[in-house]
Amino acid sequence: MDEDFKDLEEELRRLRPQSPSQRLVRRLESVGLQRHGRGRGWMRWMAFPAMAAAVVLGFLFLRLSPPRPTAHPLATAAFKPVAAENLLLDASDEGYTTLEDGTPARRVRRSYIDTITWKDPRTNASLTWSLPREEIRVIPVAFQ
Amino acid sequence: MEEAPAHDHWKAWFQLYGAKMLLCARQWTRSPADAEDVVQEAFVRFWRHQRALGGEPLALLLTSVRRAATDLSRRNSRRMVREEAAEIQPDNDLPLFETGAEHDDRRQAIEAALRRLPAEQREVLVLKIWGELTFDQIAAQLALSPNTAASRYRYALAALRKQLIAADCHG
Repeated sequence: MDEDFKDLEEELRRLRPQSPSQRLVRRLESVGLQRHGRGRGWMRWMAFPAMAAAVVLGFLFLRLSPPRPTAHPLATAAFKPVAAENLLLDASDEGYTTLEDGTPARRVRRSYIDTITWKDPRTNASLTWSLPREEIRVIPVAFQ
Repeated sequence: MEEAPAHDHWKAWFQLYGAKMLLCARQWTRSPADAEDVVQEAFVRFWRHQRALGGEPLALLLTSVRRAATDLSRRNSRRMVREEAAEIQPDNDLPLFETGAEHDDRRQAIEAALRRLPAEQREVLVLKIWGELTFDQIAAQLALSPNTAASRYRYALAALRKQLIAADCHG
């Protein structure tokens, strides 16, 4: 940004935004955030390195196998999907919302890990692919 | 940009980022109370679902604030129509920045000048200065091109300086 605005930018940066009220802090306390501490998140996300390690081990297994009198393994590999799994990690109800047409609805957020496994039946080599996915469902509700 | 707190307690995170979140939320809401609702929703969403993603926490938090503000404005759209019809003015006079005895006149002058800026310039300025976002991040946040974000920022600074000089002259 221009030199002529530098002083003004510095002056603005020195202003400290107003802190949230104690009322908001108490509301956050009542939500019970600490239950969702890093410990649980750490365990949850350890799933990814573990699965990545499984893939690497799968490839290592391929490489360490005795050489076969065939062309390049990938050139002849015939991987076929053998398993697909959707693991639900977390689900939270985010409360009520209103759709554009005025219908009340509930908003539910779900986190998954989708895991797909391919296998080459000739060599028994397997490949596992995992992908995190977040899904938000808006479910219309009817009050009776 | 500050380092994310090493502590694993939400209060340490909220102490570090809460004020900046609130200032940004106030750009997109009609009252300080609405802004606090938005900050609460955004912080809870971040803490539960996004904290483990890594990256820059403040950028993620501000994205979350923006989304929560958009959701709230959709929910409140009918109420706002009613308020506008009844000419109810939102209570938006609470200070944006910490007040202090020293240089408080200057703070008031800056706040008054900020409030007079067009909303689209003010939000870019706030995201850049206090949200510490880059122009690319601001552009993504507001669905603009980075050039537009940069030019709004320049216009905002120019207008702010002009107003502050005028305020100084009029004493």
